[in-house]
Amino acid sequence: MANQNGKMYGLTILSPIIDDPKIKVSHDSALRMFLQNMPRHSHSPFANVSGTHICRLVVMDDVVFVGSPAKEEHLKSKYLVFNSNLYGGLDAYLEEMAGKIPDVVDNIWSHCVGYPGAADPKAFAAYMKKCQIETTFFFADVNDKTVEQTLRALQTKVEFTAFIEQNQGRSPAQLQREFAAFWERVRRLPLPPAGARELGTGQAAGA
Amino acid sequence: MPKLNLFDIQGFVARGYTFPCASYLLVEILDHQAGREFVRRVTGRVTNAEPWDNKPPSTLNIGFTWKGLRKLGLPDATLLSFPDEFYQGMRARNRILGDIGRNGPENWEPVWKEDIHVWLAVYAESAQELARRCDEMKRFMQETGGARLLYTQPAAAVRIDGEPTTKEHFGYTDGFGNPDYEGVERDTIPGQGKLTPDGKWAPLATGEFILGYPDEARELPACPVPYLLGINGTYMAYRKLHQNVASFREYLAEKGKQYHGGADKLAAKFVGRWQDGTPLELSPDRADPKLVQDQSRNTNFVYGQDPGGARCPIGSHIRRANPRDAFGFNGELVNRRRIMRRGMPYGEYTPEDQPARDQDDHGIVFMSLGASLFRQFEFVQQQWISYGNDARLGSDKDLLVGCHSDGRDKFVVQGTADPGNMPFICGGLPDFVELRGGEYFFLPSLTALRLIADGAVDPR
Repeated sequence: MANQNGKMYGLTILSPIIDDPKIKVSHDSALRMFLQNMPRHSHSPFANVSGTHICRLVVMDDVVFVGSPAKEEHLKSKYLVFNSNLYGGLDAYLEEMAGKIPDVVDNIWSHCVGYPGAADPKAFAAYMKKCQIETTFFFADVNDKTVEQTLRALQTKVEFTAFIEQNQGRSPAQLQREFAAFWERVRRLPLPPAGARELGTGQAAGA
Repeated sequence: MPKLNLFDIQGFVARGYTFPCASYLLVEILDHQAGREFVRRVTGRVTNAEPWDNKPPSTLNIGFTWKGLRKLGLPDATLLSFPDEFYQGMRARNRILGDIGRNGPENWEPVWKEDIHVWLAVYAESAQELARRCDEMKRFMQETGGARLLYTQPAAAVRIDGEPTTKEHFGYTDGFGNPDYEGVERDTIPGQGKLTPDGKWAPLATGEFILGYPDEARELPACPVPYLLGINGTYMAYRKLHQNVASFREYLAEKGKQYHGGADKLAAKFVGRWQDGTPLELSPDRADPKLVQDQSRNTNFVYGQDPGGARCPIGSHIRRANPRDAFGFNGELVNRRRIMRRGMPYGEYTPEDQPARDQDDHGIVFMSLGASLFRQFEFVQQQWISYGNDARLGSDKDLLVGCHSDGRDKFVVQGTADPGNMPFICGGLPDFVELRGGEYFFLPSLTALRLIADGAVDPR
């Protein structure tokens, strides 16, 4: 199915935003303000949801009329679009989201019609799946690997490049010794946080 | 195929001059009326693109910054019709271009903080003729009272044993190949245009380099209004690139000792050509002077058989600046990203056997022409020179002209198991080249110059 490629899942959810003419700040404005100020990269709350490779939240007001001969059409509602490229199963992912970042989830989806709250992760997952549409095509950039595997691979690449630069030309015996020391060091390195921009120390082996 | 109006296009746009010396004058317009009189006087001397029966002793060409066009009193509706990047100028585009750290505008030469309005380029066969032509320009400034000379940038071919050469200060033969495009009266040189599906070379669409003609997307490039102001004109990025000759030589000597192929081969791996100009892709093991001299071969190569960069490294300078077919799709991804280069060294050349100094005033004036600064020059500079993702090189930058101010950048020489061509990593790159200033200019047609001089630019 088009939502999945190996263990990677391309999730698309369109949640209708509440239209309430009686309140002072409309739900779509309030939602935009919240999303605009949400931290990014390694500080993004979604970095705490372990399966998230990349995700995006967009407020969609309407479809754009591109001029004749196109037909002028309008959506029945404003929508919150949630895209996520995630690793693993959908239910577990959504339940983890409700469990790990319930305040953020409430702050976002409480502006949407029929939202049950994050307190019951199963109800939240069921709600999200009701709003799901099929993803026909999504960004394939991680070779079916988990977030941790990807971060570890990038970190290892940076470290290994530095190792080669510092040890190229050494004798086989010395190289083997240096490599063993390098590997002992690198395998103990803490995993860089999801969304981190600096992935390696680039230190000499054993340093 | 369009027939180009060679009487109307500036000569500098249509061809690379091969004079031994040049001066680039940076000029401020003082007053719009007197300034237009200055432009009128200059326009009468501008060299167009007509073929030469006899090579003239010198040439003159002109370009304007957006501020210069405003100072000359062009209407607002015209000024607002120019592209954003031209309006902003190179200084304001520095983050996009990767001109940060030592290359940041705060470290540029003082003249680049002045109001630069006009660029005049004089090329000449001798120093005397060059001085005569520059004096004439200064006289026009004084007599009209419309302009003031801010800065003169001298430039000259590097002389070795007294003879002008096509070398630059690091010792590489420069200036191979510029994109072929339709309408230029010369035989298509293989390797210089675009690849066709059957693997042959064809000229690019004229509109990639000159405004007013269809481009590779079969569209007219964005043109200021009125159309007559834009047609037969083009844009130029001008960059003064200082070369740290001592740093380059020391780094090459040090790494050359560690690299199995030796320093000469490593120098070739940096650029994608041996220092004499032999393309590495065609001759990976040695320089070949016969190949360099052969116009049908010296730019006639592709990277399709070398996807891993074992012959010509993926990050080498010429492979970055023009990846040819390296990104697949038969080379079609690069056809909208080509730049026309016009370069000229400045400063004294330090012979190989003499100690060089970084601080000596030597480098290259790099000029890039094209119909869109944003789509061509800026894209190449941002994505292919200052970044490596398209080539699967992560954040690696171009070894030679990339800004390596944090000292942590590296260059990867891909290789094979062959002992003479082993892979090698060059780490701790210093800044070999430093940007000392630059700007974007519009190089109008002769017709447009007369419209500007007469105050007759009418966007309605």
